[in-house]
Amino acid sequence: MQRVVVTGMGAVAPVGQSVGSVFTQLVNARSGIRPVPEHLYPASASMVAGLVDFDAAAHWPAHLASQFDRSVQFALVAARQALSDASLALNEEESHRAGVYWGTGLGGATAIEESYRMLHKENGRVRPTTVVLGMSNAAAGHVSIQYGLRGPVLNVSTACSSSAAGIGEAYRAIRSGYADVIVAGGSEALVTYGNLRAWDAMRALARPDPADPGRSCKPFSANRTGIVLGEGAAALILESAERAEHRGARILAEVVGYGNAADASHISRPDADGQVRAMRAALADAKLAPSDIGYVNAHGTATLLGDVVETEAIKRVFGDDARRVAVSSTKALHGHLLGATGALEMVAAICALDQGVIPPTAHLDCPDPACDLDYVPNEARRAKLDAVMSNSFGFGGMNAVLVARRYRH
Amino acid sequence: MNTLDTIKELAAKQFGREPHAIDETAPVDTLGIDSLGFLEFLFELEDKFGISIPQESVAGVKTLRELATVIDGLIASKATTPA
Repeated sequence: MQRVVVTGMGAVAPVGQSVGSVFTQLVNARSGIRPVPEHLYPASASMVAGLVDFDAAAHWPAHLASQFDRSVQFALVAARQALSDASLALNEEESHRAGVYWGTGLGGATAIEESYRMLHKENGRVRPTTVVLGMSNAAAGHVSIQYGLRGPVLNVSTACSSSAAGIGEAYRAIRSGYADVIVAGGSEALVTYGNLRAWDAMRALARPDPADPGRSCKPFSANRTGIVLGEGAAALILESAERAEHRGARILAEVVGYGNAADASHISRPDADGQVRAMRAALADAKLAPSDIGYVNAHGTATLLGDVVETEAIKRVFGDDARRVAVSSTKALHGHLLGATGALEMVAAICALDQGVIPPTAHLDCPDPACDLDYVPNEARRAKLDAVMSNSFGFGGMNAVLVARRYRH
Repeated sequence: MNTLDTIKELAAKQFGREPHAIDETAPVDTLGIDSLGFLEFLFELEDKFGISIPQESVAGVKTLRELATVIDGLIASKATTPA
């Protein structure tokens, strides 16, 4: 069995367009959530989201940028950052052992919505590139094409746990010897009129905070009102420890555990039972006890039910340690990036491990008696961490939990 | 502007090249235009000229000059077709 380490990371998020800026914003509790502009959502006064202020022209000339859906643009930039961070150079032979495992919920949501808008409302025509722009594996395809990664490739779509599951499956593939390097992560860009309407129809979205839109997402707080959608991408370079050591790479963390379990109970209602089994599976895989985990990056979407269910699940898994372990939801600041959220939050958890700073749960002003763990409210905390956990729970009852620890030779 | 010039101008824009670098006698695949890019290009031309370009009409087309001839034909037949 190979050990698997992280040697590079990249992120494009509402709170910044590099790992350094993202983590600084999270630690300083600066929100990337803002009102949705009118061109995306007419009568936007009632809608907020975590939006990336992304300038595609800074990355590609117009004729190339138009070949990628917005989510794929995020993916390509995050992957490029991660590859550069890892100082990874692959020759032809090595490229056959290098893959892409990528998570996304909807894939090319912007391309598909624009296509249907033209078809139904404009001129009844559909662009020839609609299929390849919209398909959910376009990001994985373009990352492999752009960087010549010829090994195993997999697109994972398990709603809000997509990229966590993608990272977990990549970890297993390297551990079992199917690849030496995998670009693992996820991307999402579905803040479109149609999707906002759909999420709103489900009554899942947070009411905008009237005083400060940036404070609309309030995980674990008694005054929370729901999810704030976000967009972005994050990428991690997973590599066999043997290869990373051989080339003298800087090692940020070791991925040691992955748990994947289904609720098998309801298509949207979260269930502590599945979450508990996913967390326990990840700990067992890591051969760690709950007492070894110093920080849990919670799924913490700020729905009324979800935060209580996750709190209960953490209590069941951690037992007496539940009161001790630091738990935070960074979604208060970046929103819910859906298919990309697991990867972004794993990046945050690894930064916490690496730098010894736990990002807070922002906007936690009104304690909820049903959410009674240490959520690191409002202010970051210094902590010597040896192992961290990241929870991602998706619609469909799909739970993926990752555990990373400090690397020791 | 004649049809060929319009095509060259659109091709330059869509494929990120200078208009003078577009050789209307060269096979389109040597202009850095792949099959999918060519389909997108046809889509733009249909919009621009207000015509429909059937697949069979461009099946043998190798160059932008040949494409211009096809499009002129389609425009002419549209003009003579009773409404």
